Amino acid sequence: MTIASPENGLPYPPELASASAGLTAPRGLGVLSERHGRALTLLGRRLIQIPLVLLAVSALTFWLVQLVPGDPGRNALGQYATAAQVHAWDVSNGLAGSVASRYLHWLGGFFSGAWGASFVYLVPSRPLILGHLANSAFLALYAFILLVPVSVLLGSVQAYREGRRTDRVITISLMTLSSVPEFVIGVLLLVAFAVGLKAFPVQSAADATGDLGQRIHATTLPAVVLAASYLAVLARMVRTGTAGAITAPFHRTAVLKGLPRSVIVRRHVMRNALIPTLQLLGIYLGGLLGGSAVVETLFNYPGLGALMVTAAERKDTVLLTDGVMVTGVLALLALLLTDVCMILLDPRIRFGNAEG
Amino acid sequence: MDLVPERSASTGRIGTVPALLRRPTFVLSVLVVICWSGAALTWHRFGLNPYDNTGQVLSAPSWSHPFGTDNLGRSVFARTLAGTGSALAVGPAGAVLATVIGSVLGVISAYFRSWVDTALMRLFDVLAVLPPLIFLIVIVAAFGASSPALTVIIGVVFAPGIARIIRAAVLVEMGKKYVTSARLQGESALRIMAAELVPNVAPIIVIQATLSLSAAVLMTATLSFLGLGQQPPSPDWGLAINQNIDYIETAWWTVIFPALAVASLVVAVQLIADNIKEAWS
Repeated sequence: MTIASPENGLPYPPELASASAGLTAPRGLGVLSERHGRALTLLGRRLIQIPLVLLAVSALTFWLVQLVPGDPGRNALGQYATAAQVHAWDVSNGLAGSVASRYLHWLGGFFSGAWGASFVYLVPSRPLILGHLANSAFLALYAFILLVPVSVLLGSVQAYREGRRTDRVITISLMTLSSVPEFVIGVLLLVAFAVGLKAFPVQSAADATGDLGQRIHATTLPAVVLAASYLAVLARMVRTGTAGAITAPFHRTAVLKGLPRSVIVRRHVMRNALIPTLQLLGIYLGGLLGGSAVVETLFNYPGLGALMVTAAERKDTVLLTDGVMVTGVLALLALLLTDVCMILLDPRIRFGNAEG
Repeated sequence: MDLVPERSASTGRIGTVPALLRRPTFVLSVLVVICWSGAALTWHRFGLNPYDNTGQVLSAPSWSHPFGTDNLGRSVFARTLAGTGSALAVGPAGAVLATVIGSVLGVISAYFRSWVDTALMRLFDVLAVLPPLIFLIVIVAAFGASSPALTVIIGVVFAPGIARIIRAAVLVEMGKKYVTSARLQGESALRIMAAELVPNVAPIIVIQATLSLSAAVLMTATLSFLGLGQQPPSPDWGLAINQNIDYIETAWWTVIFPALAVASLVVAVQLIADNIKEAWS
C-alpha cells in the first residue's frame, strides 16, 4: 500500500502525504472541528467510565448494606413464622443465596425496573424513591434559584472591591456562615421566622398536589438553609473567576477600546467568571438533587435524603440500596452534564491537560 | 551541597506562633475550644445532673435552670455541658485517625507511583462519587454507631481527601534535590519517607488535621442529629436537637442552646484551621 503507483498519481507514500498535510495545519474552522473531535473523545471516555464507576459503586453499596444487622424475613413475617416460611420469603424477595448471586439478581432487577419492595413502607421502592426524588428536586431547584444570583452578586462585588474593607467583611461573614452546621442555621431560622414571627410553617411537608404558591411558601425556609450552606464556596469561586477576568489583558483592551461597561461585564467578565463556578456547581448538583438529609430531616420534608436516613434507621436494606444507587447515578449524570456545559461555554478547554 | 534553602516549608514555621497570637479570631477560637475542653473535664464536679428529671417539664430558663428544662424535665444547662464529652471524644479521635491513614497513603502513593498510586487514586474516585453524608449513612447502618465504630468510620471516610492533598504535596517534594541525594546515599525508602518527606510536608499535614477536626466534629453532631449517632439518653448536642425539635414552638430553649454549643465549637475549630493556613502561606 505504501508504494507509490502511477494510478493514484502520488509522488510519495501516503503516510508522507498525510504528514505533509499535517504540516500545513488547517486553520480556522479546521481547528474548530479538531477541538470538537477532542470534546467528543472526552464525552466518549466519560460514557465508558460512568457505567464502570457505577458498577463499582453498586457493588460497594450492596456489600455494605448486606452487613446491616437484622433479619428482614423474620421482621416481615413476625416471630411465629417457621424457619421454612422465612426461607421461602427470603427466596421470593431475592435474599437467599450467596452475596454474589444476590448482587447479580439485584443488579438485573435494578436495570430492568424491578426494584423490589420496601420492608418498612410495604410498597414497591421505585415509586417511593422517585416520588421523594421529585420533592428533593423541587427543593434543590428552589435553593438553586436563591443561591446563584446571590453568590454571583456577592462574588463579583468582592472581586471589584478586592482587598478593600467590603471584600474582607464579606469574606469573613461567608467563612463564618459556611462553618455553622446546616441544622443550626435551620434551628435559628425556625425560631426566628416560624416560631417568633410566624411567617412560615414549622413543618414543610410538601404536598405535591397542593397549590404551588402554598408549596413554595412552605419550602422557603428549607431552601434558604440549603442555599446558605453552598453560598460561601460558590461566592468564593465567582470572586476568584471575576478577579482573574478583571486583571486579564483582554479586559484592559475592552475598557480601552471604549466598550460600554454592561457589554464588558456581560461578554468578557461574566463568561470567564462562570466557568470555574459551573464546574463546582456540577460537583454539588448531584448532592443537591439527591437531597440534603439534614435539611429534609430538620423540616420534616419528604425528600430522598430524609428517606435514606429513615431506611438506614429502620434497616430497610432494599430501600437503602436502591436509593443510594439513584443518588450515585444522579451524581455521575451531573458531572457529565457539567462536562457538556463546559464544552459549550469554553472552546479553549484542552481536555488532555485537564485530566491529571 | 547546601540543601537548606530547598526546605522552604520548614522555614515557614519560625515565628508562626507569635504571628498566630496576634490574630484576634485565632485567640478567641482557641479560648472557646479551651472552655469547652475544660467543661468536658470538670462538669461532673459541679453537682450537675444531666440525666435526672427535675420535676418540671419544658420549663423556661430561670435561676435554678439557666437554660430551662427539656421534654423529660432534664436540665438543659447540665446536658449542654455534659454534651461536651461526646463532642470532644469521637470527632477528634476520628480526625487523628483520618490524618494518620491519609498521610501514610498519600506519602506511599506519591513515593512509589506506578500501580499502587493508580489503584489508590481510582479507589478514591469511586468513593468520591456518593455525596459524603449518604456514604456515611450507609456505613453507619452497616457497622453501627458505637463510639469506637464511629471513630473508625470517620477516620476511613475522611482519609481519601487528606491522602490526595498530601500526595500532591509529596509529588512536588519528590522533584527536589534532597530526595535524589538521599537516594544516592542509599537511604531506605522507609527512611526517606519518614525522615525526609514527612517533615517537609508537615505544615500541610497539620492544616489538613485541623480542617478534618472541624469536619469530624460537624459530622458526628450531624449523625447524632439524624438519629444515627449517639443514642438516648446521651446528652449529645446533635441528639438533643433531634429529640426536642418537635417542641420548638413551645420550648425554643431546648434546641437553641445545644445548637449554639455545636456552632461555637465547629466554627472555632474551623477558624483555628483557617488562621494556621493563612499564617503558613
